Amino acid sequence: MAAVVTNAATFVLGFVEGGGGEEESSTFLVSPDVGLMLWTLLSFFVALYVLRKYAFPKITEALDKRQHAIEDSIDTANRTKAEADELLAEYRERLKEARVQAEEIVTRARAAGASTERESVEAARVKREELMAQARKDIEAETRRAIGEIRNEVADLTVAATEKVTRKTLTAEDQKRLVDEALGELDFTALSGERR
Amino acid sequence: MLTRLAALATPLVLFALAPSAAFGAEEFKPQNEFKLDPWIELPGPFDINKAVFYLFVATALTIGTFFYIANRMQARPNRMQTAVETAYVAMRDNIAGGNMDKRMAAKWFPFIAALFLFIWFSNMIGYLPLPTNTEHKVDVFGLEIPSFALYAATANLSVPLVLTLVVWVAYHIEGFRAKGVIGFFKGLVPAGVEGPAKAPIFVIELISDFVRVVSLSVRLFANILAGHLLILFMGGGLVVLLNLGFAGSLILGFVTAPLAVAFFLFEVGLVATLQAFIFSTLTAIYLGGAVAEDH
Repeated sequence: MAAVVTNAATFVLGFVEGGGGEEESSTFLVSPDVGLMLWTLLSFFVALYVLRKYAFPKITEALDKRQHAIEDSIDTANRTKAEADELLAEYRERLKEARVQAEEIVTRARAAGASTERESVEAARVKREELMAQARKDIEAETRRAIGEIRNEVADLTVAATEKVTRKTLTAEDQKRLVDEALGELDFTALSGERR
Repeated sequence: MLTRLAALATPLVLFALAPSAAFGAEEFKPQNEFKLDPWIELPGPFDINKAVFYLFVATALTIGTFFYIANRMQARPNRMQTAVETAYVAMRDNIAGGNMDKRMAAKWFPFIAALFLFIWFSNMIGYLPLPTNTEHKVDVFGLEIPSFALYAATANLSVPLVLTLVVWVAYHIEGFRAKGVIGFFKGLVPAGVEGPAKAPIFVIELISDFVRVVSLSVRLFANILAGHLLILFMGGGLVVLLNLGFAGSLILGFVTAPLAVAFFLFEVGLVATLQAFIFSTLTAIYLGGAVAEDH
């Protein structure tokens, strides 16, 4: 065990002190190597140059482009949504208006229908009454004419019958007197009663 | 799935094929896992070694991933694009945007993002076993290939240090521009400090300004190095090093192996990203603080 510790200690010391007297020094670990430093500078600046000139601008451009695209998409989406909302609101409004209008139209139509019905009923009634009045007038005129005819017929018959009975021709005054007497005894009201 | 398993098992197979490479024909020195032997000799200090190779891989992955994604950006992202976009937005809005004003964030975002990604990829590839250990070659049917090892460029101080120096210089230049040299140093003293307290506070703040070079770089370096050492020791290093004989090694191996897995997951899942995040966030804070009115 002691040997192990000694071994390890020797190694560590040798590592730190640079070989501890051995012919191979390990100071190369911490002593700068000019050649390596120059190669490092060269490599680094070549990498820097290429990255700066050929790689980074393209990546930046692509990232910026994507960012713009995303921003544009979001803007467009927002705009479209706003438009859609507006449209929806407008359609709702219109729908409401249409509904109100429809109700109005129905109400108006109903009122119009009712009034038309009333008017036509009224017109029909007026027409009927006119017709009936006309009919009544016609009947009355016809009745009056018929009564007149009957009266004349009765008068003539009366005259003829009287001539046959009396064997004499009546004068105009006699005839008139006779007819009036006969007609006065006749009741014509019964005729007009039947007409009704 | 099978290919994945095969890829994961490759180091084990190689391990079995060449046990002498792993079990000390020569003395095992764990620090040599981080040693940088030149692979390709170039004039001046520009030798290509393991760390440089890792830097190249990290650079290629950083550039490749983002270049690929950036040129295939779609309005409807797939998973990979979503992941990259998430990282991008986090870097832009949190790391850069959260610690600097708008103008500064726009100006310095590419720098901070590149820093984050470069460090992140460097850290992450550090947990992939790659055939990079040239110290221990494996003989596969006569072909000597380096054994698979974990390594990270950021586990070497030079890499974080030079990045830190860039940051340090950058925020001083920004500070000098915004407030002037004298104004910047005057601004080191926090608002509300009055009278004779100003002098010592100024000295302390000045020191702390310089210490940032150490703290920023060593934080990253030490975290990654420590993680790799933990994985290395738990994943067999301790067993080899302590050399407790057959039974002792067996027991120690059974104890340390699950710990190795746990540390590995911890490092990959948290530390690699966290350290990259901390480095880049502190950079943003330093840059933002350098130009802010009440420093």
